[in-house]
Amino acid sequence: MSRRQLDGLDRDIVQWLSRDARISNRQIAAELGVTEGTVRARIKRMEEQRQIRITAVTNIDRFRDASLAYIWIEVERTHQVRAVARELAAIPELGFVGEMLGRSDLLAITMVRNNEHLAEFVHSRIGTIEGVRRTESTLGVNFVKHDYRMARIVK
Amino acid sequence: MSTAAAVEAHPQLDEVDHRIIALLREDGRMPFRAIARELGVTETTVRARVRRLEDSNTMRVVAVTDIEAAGYNMLLAVGVQVENRTPESVARDMAEIPEVFSVNVVVGTHDIEALVVAEDQGALHTLLSERLAGLPGVRRLTPSLAVDVLKNQADWVPL
Repeated sequence: MSRRQLDGLDRDIVQWLSRDARISNRQIAAELGVTEGTVRARIKRMEEQRQIRITAVTNIDRFRDASLAYIWIEVERTHQVRAVARELAAIPELGFVGEMLGRSDLLAITMVRNNEHLAEFVHSRIGTIEGVRRTESTLGVNFVKHDYRMARIVK
Repeated sequence: MSTAAAVEAHPQLDEVDHRIIALLREDGRMPFRAIARELGVTETTVRARVRRLEDSNTMRVVAVTDIEAAGYNMLLAVGVQVENRTPESVARDMAEIPEVFSVNVVVGTHDIEALVVAEDQGALHTLLSERLAGLPGVRRLTPSLAVDVLKNQADWVPL
């Protein structure tokens, strides 16, 4: 991993943006005692280098009362992990796909309506991917915390 | 999810709302004036719509920080088995820890599934063996290290 880390001023700017990303550059500049140009340049650089992403977070595409499901996936042969991971990443319903060490080869996270929906999704969309040996799914019953201000920015 | 299903789930949103959300997903800093021009409505309308979407908890415009840029080099999924306490209460304690950025009570082999970050191996060890293992009710932790994250959408969680 090699992404450039944020410095003190970057973090101060991000702190303001984390509260409300619609705040103006002028207002951030005034709060931090720097010029508006500095704020603008910093935000541009952080976005270009994918250190931050300013975006609308919404639940309009989600089912109401949906549950989070963790799907652990084991592949037939270790060399197939990458290919299976790529196929998983292309499934729009999956919000997280990671190659893992330890409990299984891959972890995929999605939102489902219920256990039946989860079983159907795993069976039809994941079990059919070439190289998938077995899956183990866990259905969430109570979503206690998710800090959406923190993520691995992939694209 | 199809647009039809999205509309059904949120009947109070119209076409303008959906298009504002789509533009802000692309660029959360897009000026109200530019949004208004793009959609052929007034800037006042856009402002009012954005405020309504935010006030109704339908949408929020936020800065998402890359975990690595924030100084965290490790991301793990941690399964937790709980004893002598409800999983909900243990989960709430875990949620107090900033490095624990996602906590979900589940049914299965584990009682809780969490996503955690750490700066380095030393910090990870402290987080797992002291801060998490030391919480009352935590029986066993089963961590799994993410060696590569191919996808991590910021907007896949309920608000």
